[in-house]
Amino acid sequence: MKLPGLRLYALVYLLFLYAPIFLLPIFAFNDGTIIAFPLKGFTTSWFGQMFGNDTLARAVRNSMIIAVSSAVLATTLGIFAARAGSRFSFPGKGGIMGLIMLPLVLPEIIVAVSLLVVLLGMGMTLSVFTVILGHVLICTPYAIAILNTAFSSLDRSLEEAAVDLGETKWSTFRLITLPLVMPGIISSLLISFTISLDEFIIAFFLAGNEPTLPTYIFSQLRFPKQIPMIMALGTCLVLLSIVLLTIAEYFRRRGIARSGGKDTGGFL
Amino acid sequence: MTVQSADRPSMIEFQDVHKYYGDYHALRGITASIRAGEFFSLLGPSGCGKTTLLRTIAGFEGISSGAVMIDGKHMEHVPANQRPTNMVFQSYAIFPHLSVEQNVGFGLRRDPRSEADKAKAVAEALEMVGLKGYGARAAHALSGGQRQRVALARALILKPKVLLLDEPLSALDKKMREQMQVELIKLQRQVGITFVLVTHDQEEALVMSDRIAVMFEGEIAQLADPETLYRRPNSRRVADFIGVMNFLPATILGEANGQIQVEAAGLGRVEIETNQAPGAISEGEASVGFRPETLTILYEGQTASDRETAGTIDEVVYYGDMTYYDVRLDGVDKPVRISMRNVFGRPVLDIGTRTRVAWSAGALVLFR
Repeated sequence: MKLPGLRLYALVYLLFLYAPIFLLPIFAFNDGTIIAFPLKGFTTSWFGQMFGNDTLARAVRNSMIIAVSSAVLATTLGIFAARAGSRFSFPGKGGIMGLIMLPLVLPEIIVAVSLLVVLLGMGMTLSVFTVILGHVLICTPYAIAILNTAFSSLDRSLEEAAVDLGETKWSTFRLITLPLVMPGIISSLLISFTISLDEFIIAFFLAGNEPTLPTYIFSQLRFPKQIPMIMALGTCLVLLSIVLLTIAEYFRRRGIARSGGKDTGGFL
Repeated sequence: MTVQSADRPSMIEFQDVHKYYGDYHALRGITASIRAGEFFSLLGPSGCGKTTLLRTIAGFEGISSGAVMIDGKHMEHVPANQRPTNMVFQSYAIFPHLSVEQNVGFGLRRDPRSEADKAKAVAEALEMVGLKGYGARAAHALSGGQRQRVALARALILKPKVLLLDEPLSALDKKMREQMQVELIKLQRQVGITFVLVTHDQEEALVMSDRIAVMFEGEIAQLADPETLYRRPNSRRVADFIGVMNFLPATILGEANGQIQVEAAGLGRVEIETNQAPGAISEGEASVGFRPETLTILYEGQTASDRETAGTIDEVVYYGDMTYYDVRLDGVDKPVRISMRNVFGRPVLDIGTRTRVAWSAGALVLFR
């Protein structure tokens, strides 16, 4: 290496990024309630405590329902919008697309507060359902951004060729369009799922009395006794993230290989 | 030239077809007839409407007024997936997630035949385009020429009445293109299907077609067989677009006995048959046009069989089998291009050589 300074910089950067995450499993298996060195001994009791916790189980269930519903709804809406945006031109297209993408840059707390005001004004009860509404709102722009790429890189004459060979519009979509944009759809589902799963502000405002994973973790930080269990939970979440990312990357690469494209970018 | 096709019934009829995109008038009253079993080309510069016209046959493009008929049937309410046409796309549009076999057999999905019969049909189609044994390959692993063959097999397997080809050779390199031109002609004779080719390459159109429609700005400028188009273009524009044509300014002196008297710059007084003058002009300023190969440079000892004119060689372009000479005829500023076949033992002439050029009035065309 010609520049040892740059090497050191890279090392420090990576350490800052990942060292805290490596501490999670260490303390998750540490037999002591105080998060500090030296370590006391090996235990799996925190995991046991985690699995025995009813409120946590409820929070996990809620978060799963919210994340899966939001991912499916946002991706479905994204498919419609991306297909329309990449195939047709209509008056006000730029403005409409801009408005749909706006939540990407809008401060989330503003979105959360205004949603709260509107939903309460409409007389709705805060629940898992209202959180889903909020999450669909913030996930849809990501879904559209991902799916837009998938749809606009699709050669239009592929669909025309299928119609030319006797297929209807719908069977063309099923046989040609859908398989070719499938990597984008899976990507969009996974990204939306991840965004929804760790979203805090909207869930905090719109969930009412229902706990979600992030709001539950936040509420437990006040109790030092609970912290090792949170570490165990964090360890599980990190593992889950790695698995999801691997799946997403697998599908992305397979999609590229199947359509014969060149690999540019991606996560890994 | 292929078999005479003038007496064949009509396969495609355009009746005063107009197409507007908003204010843009893309097709301006196309009336033409494409005969059954002929190799027909739509030739023109980009933006002339040739691809739009092709797409109105396929059903991908609606028309604003007029009528398109295929095999005697009005196509207005027939959607693209029910028309007796199949298309080879410019990008080939090979389905990248399917194998070669699945691509070729795609159109047979709704075919009631047994799977074994369909597989046989796919194998036959692949053999016809020279891709025997490629069936199991992934479509994206094919070369440009192979993709083109897959696209052909995929379109022909449905035995359409008309095969539409949208600039199918433009993505191939020169050698491959020339090879595919010959293969396409052979294939067309073998299957006997009406082929409609869109191209901007005049050479390609001349080589492949039974008849060509030259299009400019949404209109057909001339529809004729390649030889007529080359020898008797009906306007300066068509003449300019097809091959190389020299133009010399001329003054019309009068008309008598079916012959037009012309005073042409560099050539002198000439009599031109009225059938060599498209556009029926009988007086005023005009220009005479002639192809580079209709003039011959005379070497020492050679004499002209008809007329000859003196000139000076201005530029020499050597092509191996041919040499192009730009010759400044005496009394004309702008040089004319003359192509000469190179003969073994005969030297290529140098720039600045004084020379005599032989020509005949029969090769001239008079333009407005």
